[in-house]
Amino acid sequence: MLISGLWIIVTSSLLAISTGLLGCLLMLRRSAMLGDAISHSVLPGIVMAYLLTGQKSSIALFVGAIILGVGVSLMIEFIQKRFSVQNDAAIGLSFTFLFAVGVILISIFAQDIDLDQDCVIYGELAYIPLDLWTTPTGLNLGPRAFWILLALAIINISFVGLAYKELQVSIFDPLFAQATGLHPQVWHYVQVVLVSLTVVAAFEVVGAILVIAFLVTPAATAYLISHRLWSFLGLSCLWGITASIGGYLLAWWSGGTIAGAIALIAGIQFLIVLIISKIAKSKA
Amino acid sequence: MLNLRLETFGMKILAAFRLCLLCLFIGYLGIGCKQSSKEKVFTHSSSLRIVATTGIVGDAVKNIVLNKAEVNVLMGPGVDPHLYKASQKDLELLSKADVIFYNGLHLEGKMAEVLEKLKKQKKIVAIAEAIPVNKLIKVGENENLYDPHVWMDVSLWKYAVIECARVLQSIDTSNAAFYKQNLDNYLQALDSLDAYIETEIAKIPSIPRVLITAHDAFSYFSRRYHIEVKSLQGISTVAEFGLRDITNLVDFIVARKIKAVFMESFIPERSIRAVIEGCKAKNHEVKLGGVLFTDALGAEGTPEGTYIGMLKANVKTITDGLR
Repeated sequence: MLISGLWIIVTSSLLAISTGLLGCLLMLRRSAMLGDAISHSVLPGIVMAYLLTGQKSSIALFVGAIILGVGVSLMIEFIQKRFSVQNDAAIGLSFTFLFAVGVILISIFAQDIDLDQDCVIYGELAYIPLDLWTTPTGLNLGPRAFWILLALAIINISFVGLAYKELQVSIFDPLFAQATGLHPQVWHYVQVVLVSLTVVAAFEVVGAILVIAFLVTPAATAYLISHRLWSFLGLSCLWGITASIGGYLLAWWSGGTIAGAIALIAGIQFLIVLIISKIAKSKA
Repeated sequence: MLNLRLETFGMKILAAFRLCLLCLFIGYLGIGCKQSSKEKVFTHSSSLRIVATTGIVGDAVKNIVLNKAEVNVLMGPGVDPHLYKASQKDLELLSKADVIFYNGLHLEGKMAEVLEKLKKQKKIVAIAEAIPVNKLIKVGENENLYDPHVWMDVSLWKYAVIECARVLQSIDTSNAAFYKQNLDNYLQALDSLDAYIETEIAKIPSIPRVLITAHDAFSYFSRRYHIEVKSLQGISTVAEFGLRDITNLVDFIVARKIKAVFMESFIPERSIRAVIEGCKAKNHEVKLGGVLFTDALGAEGTPEGTYIGMLKANVKTITDGLR
């Protein structure tokens, strides 16, 4: 039990790093609910992948989900820029539209087939230690989810590391960034695509709720007590990791759902930090 | 813009540190509580540890092993297999199990994929997949997708029960004769159940002999026991029903003078209520026949808490409503 618990905590912490970094960037752009939007928008992608391939295997459906995940982000960007609609409205508009398309496709073409993202795509944190990656020679390399989330964490850390200056300038002063030739648009689109890929890939291994919670809550907690981009990013990751540890232990103690317990601890962390920062502010 | 909320960076670190401590504290509390209860779990360490996914699969296993092994069911009474989420306790049960039985045919969704991979490490059996393919009902036009609700036809479920017994006999050879005996007894009980359902359903006059429910779990039941089935929803519990579906269904009920419509344990009442209201508007009184069991057993300890009791309860509800 100890080993499998350790795998869950490590995997969840790796997810916390990826989503912690992306969550900060999303929050600064006021699109924190993008994760939730993506979780619903993948439905038509899944249905269309199923209708095209006739298979219910994860790989085909996963590709469909990825395409729609990236698609919805770009759609939100487009609506927002082209028609100067508020960001939250653009998010709401895009994902309800796509989800509705998915539901209609199911009711027309796949009425009698069990096709919904919870069932065919979304993974579950509790299965991580059971879903091992073994080489054809039989060598056990540990959970598949660990390697996927490790790769995602490395990609996201590299992105933030490489584009740190560009991100900083383009978030806080887009006009200045444009003037200095930093191409903020290019970095922004890289970020949008990266968010979509990370979110859909993470859905596949750990399920939707944890990813959505991790995109929003640790970043919100860090935002309360940060005044520099680097400490914002760092604290956001840290809160995600502590929530993973605390949440797993809570789930172990209660025997309940692990993702739920982690999301709960992340929420409690936010509350505690909020109260502490209010007290500190009133004393000052 | 980021504001300065706390004066110093030091206080920020302090806050973070306090929280880490708190988390660890909660965690240690958890470990402490867990260890004290751990000994109880291990009392049956010598007997076979069996895990079944749904209550229906678990019931088949329990009827074979009786008191010779510990059978744990992951999805308890009233749990929709489509919406089931594994908990930490379920993970412990799965990793400690000597053998895991599941329905298969995509009933367990994503979980089945995990079980499929786990087959390299332990004995895992999809019991419904032991049923000959030519007896299964296809869904959609695609290859290899079948309706998973096979337990609704007792003659098909017998294949699954036999598969259960075969696997148990091969694993636990010392009790093989005992399992064989239990299997024979249980198959007899299933045969009489099968005959009972057939005669009871046949008593309903053939024109209004139509089972109307919200969720399409009765196609095997329909084929075996000669009762027409109409439903509002497809197999998935997520897809919503359309307006035209309701209108068509209302016209159908009025034309065939059907007396009752039915609900299922975890489908919202709303959808079937719309049909009842629609019939009322056309001056045809149709009543709510009651709740049918589909993917989950009734509460433990009640007659509906077993497979046989569940099907008998369904038959009683259907015949009471339609006659």
